[in-house]
Amino acid sequence: MLSIVSLSITLGGFSVRDVSLEVKPDEYFIILGPTGAGKTILLETIAGIHAPDSGKIFLDDREITALEPRERNTGMVYQDYMLFPHLTVEENIAFGLRQKNIPRDEQRAIVEEMCMLLEIGHLAGRYPGTLSGGEQQRVALARALVLRPAILLLDEPMSALDSRTRERMRSELSRIRKLTGTTIVQITHHFDDVFALADRIAIMREGRIVQVGETSEVFLHPADTFVAEFLGIGNIIRGNSVMAGKIAKITPARGPAFFAASDIVGDVVATLHAEDVILSKAPFESSARNGLPGTVSEIIPSGSTVRVILDAGFPLTALLTRESCRDLDLEPGSSVYATFKATAVHVIPVTASE
Amino acid sequence: MKKISLALTAIVFCVISGTLLGLIIYSPLPILARSLVSPEIQFAILLSLVTSVASTLVCIAVAIPVAYALARYTFPGKQIATLILTLPLTLPPLVAGIALLLFFGTTPWGKALDNAGFGVIFTPLGIIVAEVFVNLPYMIRIMRSTFDAINPRFEHVAKTLGCTETGAFFRVTLPMARHGLLAGTVITWSKAMGEFGAVLMLAGATTMRTETLPIALYLNISTGDVDLAVAAATILILISLVALCTVEYFDRDVHVF
Repeated sequence: MLSIVSLSITLGGFSVRDVSLEVKPDEYFIILGPTGAGKTILLETIAGIHAPDSGKIFLDDREITALEPRERNTGMVYQDYMLFPHLTVEENIAFGLRQKNIPRDEQRAIVEEMCMLLEIGHLAGRYPGTLSGGEQQRVALARALVLRPAILLLDEPMSALDSRTRERMRSELSRIRKLTGTTIVQITHHFDDVFALADRIAIMREGRIVQVGETSEVFLHPADTFVAEFLGIGNIIRGNSVMAGKIAKITPARGPAFFAASDIVGDVVATLHAEDVILSKAPFESSARNGLPGTVSEIIPSGSTVRVILDAGFPLTALLTRESCRDLDLEPGSSVYATFKATAVHVIPVTASE
Repeated sequence: MKKISLALTAIVFCVISGTLLGLIIYSPLPILARSLVSPEIQFAILLSLVTSVASTLVCIAVAIPVAYALARYTFPGKQIATLILTLPLTLPPLVAGIALLLFFGTTPWGKALDNAGFGVIFTPLGIIVAEVFVNLPYMIRIMRSTFDAINPRFEHVAKTLGCTETGAFFRVTLPMARHGLLAGTVITWSKAMGEFGAVLMLAGATTMRTETLPIALYLNISTGDVDLAVAAATILILISLVALCTVEYFDRDVHVF
C-alpha cells in the first residue's frame, strides 16, 4: 500500500532521518511521538508538500517521490482543519472536485453523498468560522474524502476537540473507514486514539522510527527504554465492561475480572500504568483495590527500575525499583500478588473494527 | 489623571478638527465650487487620479509576488533585502526624489529610456515613477504581514486537493488576503494622491503639465491664489478621510504600520 524507503528530510528545526515504513491496505496506522519528533514533516512529505532529501515513497506500487501533491491521490486533514474561510462548507467540500473539472451536477451529487455520510448536510451553506470544532473536523474529512484518496493522512486530528467530541469523532473515523475502505495514517500523541483506532503503530523519536508493530505488541514489548518511558503505560487489557454498583467490572478475554472506576460499558480497552501495580508476596486485602495472583514470567532491568512481567491470566507489567525487586526476591516462576487501585485503571471504549 | 487625560484628548480633537474644518470653510461655498471646476483644478484632479491609479496598480502587481516571497521563502540575503525594500518607508520623499532624478538624469540607463521615448524627468510618467518608488514599500509591508498571517497549510491542503502551486495561491491565499489587499490598495492610492516631495523632484512643478493636486496647492499658494490652493486641499482632506475609514474598517486582521 504505502511504502517508505529510507526517507530523510530536514526542514527548519525538524528532521526525518532514514525512515522506512510499510503501511498495509485498509490499515489504520498511527505514528506516535513526542512534540518535535518530525511527525508532521513525515506526513507532509508523504503528501508531497516537501521534497525529501533522499529516499523513496511508493503508493500502491507506484513511486510518488517526485510527483506533485495533486498527482498523489492522498487526502490530508490537519489539526486545525484548515477549512478555507472564504468558502462555504459546500464549496469547501467541492473544492477538490472543482479542481478536477468534474461537471457541476456530478459535483453536487458527490458532495451531497459525502454530507450524508458525515451528517453535515444542514451545514452546507454556512461558513467555517461559524462551526464548532467537531463540525469543522467532519467538514475537513469530507473535503479530503471527496476525491476518494488511496490514503488519508491525519495530523493530530483530535487534539483540538474536547474529550466528548473526541470520543464521538473516534467512532466516526472508524465508521468512515469501514464504509470507504480508506487506508489511514494518523499522527498523534494521544494514547486513547491509539487504543481505540490503531491496527499498528510506529513510535517516532528525533526524526527516527524506533519501533513499529501491532499496538499491543509495542506496548507489551517496548523496544528500548525511550519507548517504554514514552508509552509509560505498560498495561493494556482488552475486555468487556459491565457496571457493578458504582464502578465497572472488566472481564478480559483470558484471566480474572478486575474493577475500574469508570461508567463505560461494552467492549473496552483498560490501561494501567506499570508503576501503579504493586507487587507483594502475600495477598493485600482492600475493598477499593484489585488483587490478582500471578506468576513472574520475565524480569527486565531498565536503568534504576525493573519491569516485571507477570502472568495473571493476562500479561501484567509492574514497574519496581531495583531495591524492592531485590527485597521481594523475585525470579521467573515465583508467585506474587499484584495489587492496583480501581481508580488507576483508565477505560477507553473500543470503536475500531477487529 | 482621568480628568487631565480626557481634557487633553478633547483639546487635541478640537485643534485637529478645527484646523481642518477652518480650511474647508475658508472660502465661501460658491467660490469653493468655482475653484473646484476651474480648468487648473480639474486638470490637477484628473492627473492625480490617473497617475495615482496607475502607480497603485503597478504597486499591487509588484508587491504581491515580492511580499509573498518574503513571507514564504527563505533565501540568502533575505534580511538585507527586507531592509532595503522597506527603506523608502522612512526615507524623506525629497531624498527619494533626488535619487530618482539623478538615476534617470545622469546614468546611461536613464538616458536610454529617455531616448526610447520613456522620458521620466519633468513628465507625467515621472509622477507615476516617483509615486511607485515611494509607495511600493508600504504595499509590500502590508501584503507581507497579510501573507504572514495566513497559515501555509491552507495551501498545502489545496495542493493535495488538486491545485498547482499557482492555483493554490489564486484560489486560496489571495482570496484570504483580500482585506489586506484592499487596505493596502487604499493606503497606497491615498498616499499617491498626496505625494509631493518625490513628485516635485522628479516630475517638477509645471502648471497644467505635471500639476497634481498637491503640486497645484503648492503652486497656487506660492502665487497667492489661496482659493485654488484651498480647493485642492479640500479634496485631499476628503480623500484622506475616505482612506482612513476604509482602512479602519478592513484593518481588523491586518497591521498596516
